[in-house]
Formats: sequence, C-alpha cells, structure tokens
Amino acid sequence: MRYLPTAAAEDRALLDAIGANRAEDLLTGVPDHLKLHRALDLPATSSELEVLREMERLAGLNTRFAASFLGAGAYAHFIPSAIDHQISRQEWFTAYTPYQPEISQGTLQHIFEYQTLVCDLTGLDMTNASLYDGGTSCLEAALMAVRVQKKRAKVLVSSGLHPHYLAVIRAGFAAHEELKLVEVALKDGVTDPVDLAAKLDETVAAVLVGYPNFLGAVEDIKVLSDLAHAKGALLISVTQEAMAFGWLQAPGKAGADMACGEAMSFGNSTNFGGPYLGFLAVKDAFKREIPGRVVGQTHDLDGRTGYVLTLTAREQHIRRDKATSNICSNQGLIALRANIFLQLAGPEGLKGLAEQNVAKAQYLRERLLELPDWDVPFEAPYFNEFVLHHTGDIATMNEALIAEGILPGLDLTPYGHKNCVLWCATELNTRTQIEHLIEVLARVASVVG
Amino acid sequence: MSLRSREPLIFDRSVPGKVGLDLPKLDVPLPKDTRPAHLKRTSFDALPSCSEPDVIRHFTKLSLWNYGLDQGMYPLGSCTMKHNPRLNEKVAAIPGFADSHPMAPDATVQGNLALIYTLQEWLKEITGLAGVTLQPSAGAAGELTGVMLIRAYHVSRGGKRRVILIPDSAHGTNPATAAMAGYDVVDVASAADGTVSFEDITDAVTGRVKKGLLSVIAEYKEDIAGLMVTNPNTLGIFEHRIDEICKRIHEVGGLVYMDGANMNALVGVARPGDFGIDAMHMNLHKTMSTPHGGGGPGAGPVLCTAALEPFLPKPVVVRDTVKVGEGEVPHHTYRWNWDRPQSIGKVHTYFGNFGMLVRALTYCLSHGGDGLRDATLRAIVNANYIRKELEGIYNLPIKTATMHEVVFNDANQTKNDVSTLDIAKRLIDYGFHPPTIYFPTIVHGSLMIEPTESESKEELDAFIDAMKLIAKESEENPDLLHQAPVTAPLRRMDETTAARKPVLRWTKAPV
Ligand SMILES: Cc1ncc(COP(=O)(O)O)c(C=O)c1O
Repeated sequence: MRYLPTAAAEDRALLDAIGANRAEDLLTGVPDHLKLHRALDLPATSSELEVLREMERLAGLNTRFAASFLGAGAYAHFIPSAIDHQISRQEWFTAYTPYQPEISQGTLQHIFEYQTLVCDLTGLDMTNASLYDGGTSCLEAALMAVRVQKKRAKVLVSSGLHPHYLAVIRAGFAAHEELKLVEVALKDGVTDPVDLAAKLDETVAAVLVGYPNFLGAVEDIKVLSDLAHAKGALLISVTQEAMAFGWLQAPGKAGADMACGEAMSFGNSTNFGGPYLGFLAVKDAFKREIPGRVVGQTHDLDGRTGYVLTLTAREQHIRRDKATSNICSNQGLIALRANIFLQLAGPEGLKGLAEQNVAKAQYLRERLLELPDWDVPFEAPYFNEFVLHHTGDIATMNEALIAEGILPGLDLTPYGHKNCVLWCATELNTRTQIEHLIEVLARVASVVG
Repeated sequence: MSLRSREPLIFDRSVPGKVGLDLPKLDVPLPKDTRPAHLKRTSFDALPSCSEPDVIRHFTKLSLWNYGLDQGMYPLGSCTMKHNPRLNEKVAAIPGFADSHPMAPDATVQGNLALIYTLQEWLKEITGLAGVTLQPSAGAAGELTGVMLIRAYHVSRGGKRRVILIPDSAHGTNPATAAMAGYDVVDVASAADGTVSFEDITDAVTGRVKKGLLSVIAEYKEDIAGLMVTNPNTLGIFEHRIDEICKRIHEVGGLVYMDGANMNALVGVARPGDFGIDAMHMNLHKTMSTPHGGGGPGAGPVLCTAALEPFLPKPVVVRDTVKVGEGEVPHHTYRWNWDRPQSIGKVHTYFGNFGMLVRALTYCLSHGGDGLRDATLRAIVNANYIRKELEGIYNLPIKTATMHEVVFNDANQTKNDVSTLDIAKRLIDYGFHPPTIYFPTIVHGSLMIEPTESESKEELDAFIDAMKLIAKESEENPDLLHQAPVTAPLRRMDETTAARKPVLRWTKAPV
C-alpha cells in the first residue's frame, strides 16, 4: 500500500525489538470475543489511477451547469487563483491546531489578521478563529446571548432567517427545557416590527435577524435593534451572504451587539454545502463568553512580538462541562481562504465586487419582470438575491432550465412562500447568461400560455 | 526554518492605491442605490490594499514559520497526524464535486448522493452499526449529535433523564458536549490500569474517594441518560470491559456513546457495534486522514444502532433500485428523505463538510478493507516500538498494553527540574513536532505520543534518538531544556500577558 512506508524487513525489525512475533500479538488488550474474526467486507486496495477514475465517474454523475441562479445560503463567487496555490502549501494544510506557538506562528498570525478583518467587516470588537458554518454560528450566538444576559431565557428569531439555520437553532434549543425560542413574523419580506415589539419583554435575551435575510431582503437592523435595546435585549445580525458586507453598513455600526453567519463567499466553491465558514463577532464586554479558539498578540522571552491561542479559560480542554462551547476543531483552512481572499480584494475590490452583485441582481430582476408570468410579492432593498412570484408552473420551468444547463433559483413553495422563487445573481453571471435564461423562460411561458 | 526577520502584519504593508484583484468589466447597467442611507457601508478600517505578489509573499513567508506534516514526525497524541495523500486533494477539487450546490435538485447531484451513500456503507461495515449521518462538522459536533440522539430516544419513551456519566480520562469535549445538550455530568474514576473503574478508588495521597462505575450507577440509576466513553481511551488503552460497561448501563435503561477519536486503532480489528455501543462518532480528519488545515475543517460522522436511527438528523440519503429487464444489472438512484418525523432536526446547515467526505472516501477506496486493517496494525506496531525503546528512560506511569499511542510523563526528569513542557520544547530544536502534553489530565505531566502508521522505521529511530538525547541533556545540562526552543522563529511565549491584557486584533495607530 503506497501510503505505508515500512518494508517487510523493517517490519520484522520493529516486531523483534518489541518482542512480538506478529502485529496481532500486540492486541493483548482487546478481549478475543470482542475482536473481529473476519476480514472487513470491503473492496481491496486500489491504485491511485483506479481510485481517480472511480471518483471521476462519481463526479460525472452530477449535472454540470453552464450558469447558476441559485444562492439561498451557498453563493458561487470568483475565486482568485492565488488561493488554491497558497493553501496547498503543506505548512498550511497539513498542520494541526497551533498548540505549539513557537512553530505555529504562521497559522497564529494568519488567524490574528483574519480576526481583525472579521471585526472590520462586522464593525464589532472581537471574534474567534471560526465556527463550523452559518447554522451552527446562530446556535452558538443564541446560547452565548443567554449566558451573557443572565436571567433571560428567551430568544426571538425572525422567520426571515435561513430555514436551515432555524432548524439548527431549534435542534440545539430542544435540549434545554429552560430555554425558549419564539419566532417573529415577517411582513413584506422583512421582520415585522409590530410583531417584534409585541413579543419583546424582560425575559428576552436576544433577537436574531437576517442581514440580508433568507429572502434576500435588507432588514433595517437599526430600527429592530432600537426596539430590542429598549427592552434590554441584544440584537444579533445573521448574515448568510458575507459578500454583502462590501455594500451594507457593518452591523456593529448599525445597532447589532453580535454578528454571526456564513462567510463561505470569500474564496470558496459551493462544495455541496461544506466545508464553509461560520463566524461570530461580539462587543468587547462579551469576550470571555465567546465560544471557540481565539488568538492574541503577545511577545516571547526576548520581547519579540508573536501570537498565541488565548482566553483559553473559556474552552472545553480547561473548563470541561463549564466551557462556553464544546467546539474544538473549527474551519481553520477555510478561514485562511477567506483571509487570503480579503487581502487580495482589499477595500476597493470588496466594494467593487459587491456593487457588481447588486448590478447583476437588479438587471436580472428587471428582465424577469418584463416576462408576463412574474410579479413582485413585496418591495424591499436587496443585495444579490430577491423573490419573485410566478404565475406559471415552477416544475415545468425548472425542467426546461436544467435541460438548457441553467441551475434555476430556489422554489420557495416548500418554505412557506407558495409559487415564489428566490433568484440570485453574482459577479459570475454574465449578461449573456441572463439573456439566455430570459429567452428560455419566455419560451416556456409562450408554450404554456 | 530560518531566522530571517519576521513578516509584519499585512496591515503594516498596505499602501492605498494597490489592488490584488481586478474587477471584471461590468456588462450590465450600473445599479441604483436602494439602501437606506444609514445602512450604506461607510468605511473599512483594516482591509489592506496590496497587490497579488504582496499577498502571496506575505502568506508564503508566514507559512515558513509553521511546522507541517511533510517536514517530519508530528506525534500529537489523540490527533492522528497521518500522511495526507495528494490524490484526495485533487479529487475534492474536481469541478463536478466542488461546484455542486447544496440546494440543487436531487436528480442533478446523483454523484454526490452516491458518494455519501457509499461512504456511509463503508463506515457502517467498519463500525458494525446500522445507522449513520455525515452531517456533524467535527468530532465535538458528532458528540453533540450523538447525545442529542440519546436524549431524543429517552424523550420518545417518556423518560426524563438528567445525567451523563463520563470517565475522568475523557477529552474535554465530552463533558462540554453533555452540558451543551442539557445534561449534568458525573465523573467516573479510572482504575490503576487506566481503564474505567467499576470500584471506588481512594487517592493514596489525599484520601479522597472517587466513585467507580458501580456506585455511580447505584446512585443515579434511572436518572442516567447515558455514558460517554472513549475507546481505546485517551491513554491508548482498550477498555477491556467495554461490553460489560454497556451491559451495566443498559440495565438501568441508559445508552452508551463512544468517542471514536481513536478509531484508527480499531479499524479492521474490532467493531464498536459488537461491544454494545449505541452511538459513536469517527473523526474523518484523524482516522481517514483528511487534512487538519491548521485547525479544521474536520468531519465527525455519527453511527448508531437501528433503535436510534429514526432520530438521526435530516435529511437522510435513500437509495432506490431501478428495475430493469431480465438479465440486466439493476441500477440505483438516490434522493434525500426529509420526511423524518422523529428526527432531532439539523446539526449543520446542509449535509456536513462534504469536501472532507470526498477525501475520506478517496482514502477508503485507496486502502481497501485490507489496507485499512494493515494501517491499524502498523500504527499499533509503531506506537509499541516507541514505547519499548523509551520505557525506563521516560517514566511509563501506566503499564497496561497500549494500542496506537503511548503516554509517558516527566517523573524521571523532575528531579533535575525538567518538566514535560521543557522536553516538548526541546524536541522542536531537534526538528520534531512535540507530542500532546498535559493531556490526559489523569496522568501528571503527560507526554502523549502517537506516531501513526505513516512513519518509517528511520523516522521513528530519529525521534527515539532525539528523546534519548533530551533525557541525557536533562541530566547533564537541564538549562539547555529550560531555554528551548532556540532554533524556532521565536522563543517561549508570554501567554499570561496575552490572557490578562488581550490584544485580539490590529487597530490603526492613532495619528
Ligand atoms: C479523544 C478526543 N475526543 C474528541 C475530540 C474532538 O474532536 P474535534 O476536534 O474534531 O471536535 C478530540 C480531538 O482533539 C479527541 O482527541
């Protein structure tokens, strides 16, 4: 087997040194009746060439699309070539969590820079080295809010949150009978301030609101945070499309006390949903309650600046059942991708890309509305995603689009918005692609109509 | 590693006007500005302005301050730093996988669903368990999922149980997970042989009594939701009474969760399903070699018994067999099943760290069933070789047979005022990554060494020589060890100041 480095003679030497006849003799700790007395019922060792062929065959069973208008929490953006090259350096991708700072300064300094950039984008004071993904970042944020807001055990969540994020929060809260989760209704595509005001009281620890929300709408988190703060609740903004930070005000500067969400958009493929990049940024006062790894600046014995994992007294390996979370491994390499992406983009690149997303989405929406079978269910500012109502049959339309190599927007019918489609356009969508989409849709409309 | 001057923070290299990413030409009209005035992005305070060569050089220089697995042995115990095959990286990047979208219709992602189904079948055969989910993002997320399954099981039977039992040798994520799932944690003592103690243990020094499994079960009985046990445990020792532990817990209606972080010592040799385990996770970033990435991403699939299967996170992948004509091979189609009324819900936004699952299946196919078993045995041989060569020179506090890792401590060196930390730091000077230190906490000053099957005899011998040399130095010149490392980019770090006066991000110097 090509990955095993010991020759037969060396094997013998190792076993002789140990004083064992065969490797199996070293299993004395495993009672015989608990051993597997047969070979695993699995295929045999394969060559690199055979495995590559098999995996290429599997990949080939997926449909490759020439154009995609699907977002809904997983966004296809341009990935600068430098990223794959850089993260393929063994110093980055093979290393473990930086437990030994003297030989992990690369990873540690990168995380310190990454933390700085997440704070910059969110307008908040501190963050961690990453969380798993958008959904789990919401659960961690909600649990953290309850810890920070002692004696308040209720969390309000906007119905405009990504439905899968809501499902992750719900699953996590189910374990805690003492905690309550209450949904706040939407009105015209955004969180209804009247319903929010009615549900806010002195038992509410925090309110989670999409920014933009699952329907692509930009929530006015200033108004919502004023409402929350009046009752002593925290406002947590949830951003499932981090590219929007290039266009929208940092949540921390618009009233949010904490900001969490998904940052896969910075330098990652859609990867069938993972690995992605959860983030959580908070005000300085909450720093000792944040979950996960945090890197801080310090110096070595000779006074040279360096970086270490810090505030570890919050973490599972020290505090065990009193820890702020159970998280151990996070999404390290994905945070590195995001860091490289953001450094390449810089302020001009990020703003420019964000603007292009807005432009493409606006153009797509205008063109769709020229067709006879699309109308507007609500008006709200949007970034690169928006909802339109379809008077035709969505299944028929999807079939036609897929046949043309176009991945359609998300049919929102199963998510409580009947006959609505969530359309997304990013800088990757060319005018030609959009025109092709419109052409196919017009054809479907004329056949059906 | 060279001692060149350090790379500054990127923020100190930023020069306004530089760009590292040119925008494509906009082929649609300029957008209208629809934002409310107070939600317009005003400024960036840190995002740097750099060219592509600036950024590449910055990260390349930073990378040189890291120690990686391709530089030498990385014997972090419990972390399983085995070789990362390059094929796995190449396969994960195939556009058919990488560009696939998690919300795309099932019919367009048949390859992904087949891959998930196949990997699940491999893991079921390896563990001997019937149910599986690939959703959890890492080991700790797997633990949480498993304990949520246990909770859902009890709730479905009208039970309200409060307690999770955890041996004191457990990894910190175990008690943290139990608490996160709403349970009280009760410790179970370890016996002198390092395994779960059935009897109470009296500490020879303090006289304190730590409760063993039997008295803890007697005390909490029907309040016990379950027990979390690591096997082989964090000392690298197989819990030889694991079937009896399961039986005792089952007798009071509890379930047993196995932390499978050390499954790399069991693959092809023994199966948790045969021990009586109800649910467990595997760390694919350990056992199946998906790269650690400097802290992640991982993947922590959970396996469980048929009784727990209905509670698994949703959706679950289903394979349908398509009937064909006489004499033809039937083929399969795959779909997600969301209709799972008893499911605990979701533990990941989509289906888990799919890219890592691609790598894990690639690893499995490369090894095959025989290669996987071979890897297990070689990992055990390598660990036992180190144990044999270093025992006596370093103190082996627990003498029980060990599998894939071995735990020494600094008891032989403390007389010279040399600690585990000093030994670890000196290893850096000899070109090795240190072992895991001060864990497991039940051994004072632990040095937990896990070589994995990827190390050649030559590399093992070099490591052993370095360890022997360090033991000699501790006798002859302990100050060398106190000063270590001296060849690394930095010397020992002031962690106290870092925690007392946290500086957690760069800020612009005031003008
Ligand atoms: C025994 C044990 N349990 C659990 C974990 C947690 O795994 P992860 O870091 O993947 O969450 C680890 C990893 O360090 C471990 O060694």
